[in-house]
Amino acid sequence: MVQVDGLTKLYGEFVAVYELSFAVQPGEVMGLVGPNGAGKTTTLRCLSGIIPPTRGTVRVGGHDIVRDAIAAKQQLAFFTDEPRLFDYLTVWQHLNFVARIYQVPDYERTGRELLEELEIANKRDALPGELSRGMKQKLAIACGLLHSPKVIYFDEPLTGLDPLGIRRMKDSILKRARDGAAIIISSHLLHLVQEICSRLLILKNGRKIIDGTLEEVTRKFSEQPGDASLEEIFFRATGESGPGAPAAPPLLPH
Amino acid sequence: MITALIYLQYHSFRNRLVSRFKRLKQPKYLIGAVVGGLYIYFYFFRYLFRGFGGRPGMNLLISSEHLQLFELGGALILFVIVLLAWIIPHERAALTFTEAEVAFLFPAPVTRRTLIQFKLLRSQLRIFFSVLLLTFFSRRFGGNAWIHALGWWLMLSTLNLHFIGSSFARTLLLDRGVSNWLRRLLVSGLVVALAGAVWMWARQTVPVPGPADTANPGAILDYAQRVLTTGPALYLLFPFRLMLRPFLAPDAPAFFNALAPALLLFLLHYLWVIYSDVAFEEASVDASQKLAARVAAVRAGNWRGVKKNQKARRPWFKLTATGPAATALFWKNLIGVGQVFSVRLGITIVVILVIFGFAFADKVHSQGISIVVALFVAIALVYSLLLGPQVLRLDFRNDLPLADILKTFPMRGWQIALGEILAPVAVLAVFQWLLLLVGAGLLFYLPVKQEALFLAIAFGAAFLLPVLDLLLLLIPNAAVLLFPSWIQTGRDSPRGIETTGQRLIFALGQMLVLLLVLLPAAAAFTGVFFLLNFTLGPAVAVPVAALAATIVLAAEAGFGVMLLGKLFERFDVTEEQTS
Repeated sequence: MVQVDGLTKLYGEFVAVYELSFAVQPGEVMGLVGPNGAGKTTTLRCLSGIIPPTRGTVRVGGHDIVRDAIAAKQQLAFFTDEPRLFDYLTVWQHLNFVARIYQVPDYERTGRELLEELEIANKRDALPGELSRGMKQKLAIACGLLHSPKVIYFDEPLTGLDPLGIRRMKDSILKRARDGAAIIISSHLLHLVQEICSRLLILKNGRKIIDGTLEEVTRKFSEQPGDASLEEIFFRATGESGPGAPAAPPLLPH
Repeated sequence: MITALIYLQYHSFRNRLVSRFKRLKQPKYLIGAVVGGLYIYFYFFRYLFRGFGGRPGMNLLISSEHLQLFELGGALILFVIVLLAWIIPHERAALTFTEAEVAFLFPAPVTRRTLIQFKLLRSQLRIFFSVLLLTFFSRRFGGNAWIHALGWWLMLSTLNLHFIGSSFARTLLLDRGVSNWLRRLLVSGLVVALAGAVWMWARQTVPVPGPADTANPGAILDYAQRVLTTGPALYLLFPFRLMLRPFLAPDAPAFFNALAPALLLFLLHYLWVIYSDVAFEEASVDASQKLAARVAAVRAGNWRGVKKNQKARRPWFKLTATGPAATALFWKNLIGVGQVFSVRLGITIVVILVIFGFAFADKVHSQGISIVVALFVAIALVYSLLLGPQVLRLDFRNDLPLADILKTFPMRGWQIALGEILAPVAVLAVFQWLLLLVGAGLLFYLPVKQEALFLAIAFGAAFLLPVLDLLLLLIPNAAVLLFPSWIQTGRDSPRGIETTGQRLIFALGQMLVLLLVLLPAAAAFTGVFFLLNFTLGPAVAVPVAALAATIVLAAEAGFGVMLLGKLFERFDVTEEQTS
């Protein structure tokens, strides 16, 4: 469903992403992890057509995101870490707006169901400024899911959610995957990745370090001594100091 | 402790300056700084400060009697300002700090008094810039710039202290159970009592000008002067006159004579504020959060974010789920127009334009409301063309912070460009058509001989204006996509002299582009007009020529929309953020 070949993004001489290739099939949830500045957000932006790749191709549902942008974008939804909403549109007006953009004829029924599911139906006439951070995120999710995308990207999806919101978000992601969507999640929360992702891609300095199913990656690192939890895999793969490495100074002094 | 706060203030200011100087390595800021610096020097500072010599100003040219009148008028204004500070506000005392200052200073072992001193110290920077600006304006009427600057500083600093002190006093009253309305009632009652006392005194001691003197402004001014300089009014206005005297001093010796009482007043205010023991922290936290939100909104080019209470607006038309996607953006931006243009703002604009109309009517010595309205229509039309595209920013200039979201939409660049730009075009066009209708209607009331020609001009303008609006809006929108960091829309948009310079360069650039774009249309108009004028007359030639020019402009606008779409497709959000 998502096919990436030789994706490279340069800013002048700075290499943000280099020769990245991978594929995500329908029903798969891929975790995109890496240290700060690894190129995760740049990758997601290239995959969603927000920024053009310098080299390489990205195909969404068989459509090239650059050459056949309309058809490719019609199939995807991108949820940024910070919900991005229009200040002067109400909750329902957002849905109305998105319905026209994505040509969703039965948006009223779907929209009502989504608002009910996300528990913001009572905020139908509220402006974003009247919503809490979590509610804004729910609205962004409702807008993104309105056209039933086949490819969904999440950039830090759990930011700002309360425990119940986190549980619901995880369930929602898994439900979409079961329904056949290809999902990519960029997150620093390794436990989230371990819990809901079936594939893993670790980036460092814009380059791919590991790519494979969770089982493949775990098997690969289990051959080495020590714990092979995802956290340990991450530290080993990226060469960052982790539990197995010499103790780093604590963030908070005693 | 105060030294730590001075350290914070000093280094914040210094680092800000250093980062601005470092930024000058980039040509766009360097060029902007040079142009902005030259503009500010030649326009503001060239003649501002020339030592104590200065050119003789109003203070020297006018009589001491008139100077007293200025003093009294100024004192009355200050009295009203101070009075309003006691009547209008309803909030508890809140010193506005930045969110970082709240986070670091409020939990720190810093006394309330130190926080107040810090706040006062910081307000001096704002006062300094206000003094510069006010001195520039007041210096135009003559006088010594240094005296003006120091006079303004004393006045603004004392007023600033008074506002803080009065907010503390209001909070104390609230804590003691005196509600806002009771306070307003008491203060208003006191004012009425004082006004009554002044009136009684004047009635008994100052002879009222006779019926013959009512047309004589000198006699009325003389009466007002005598009322305000004797009896209760003398004492009532005395502190305000003390505040004003350094500013109005005609020379250095007079200034130093007036300085001591004004400084004493300033000092008393300072002591009042410093020794007030009022809890302002909670309200300050709230105020700081609101300030941060507003600053973020303004820097994002989102002036609606400045509004305290946004209300949900009804859409202007029902948006169906199918059809051209660009209509969705048009629909969205029209809702945004409802946020910007409230009924109150509409009334304000009309009132201002009518006042302008009257002012112009007076100049041409014309009489009759029709001419005034006609002038108003003409002025409003010109202003709508010149200022409309700058004021109505519900297009890329407003949505650029959400460019990444727009780019995920399954739409072609030109569709997004068209959808983004249509709302301001529609608003301006409707406004201009209304004006043209009013103008055409006025022909029945005006002593115009060639009604047909005027109607033809209005008819032609009705074609031309919307396309002209579209072109005028395309230019700044293209500029914002080509040079987003030059046009102030981003969340961390730069400020300062370099920004002034950048704006000047862009204003010039926009004018040049507009001229180039108008040339082919002007040529088409001229050609068709001369062709038809001889055979069919101007009443036919004008609208047909306007139609020809409209077609040329529309072709250019169509090309412009395509170009704007391409620019948006090529617009790299991340590159702009990283640069």
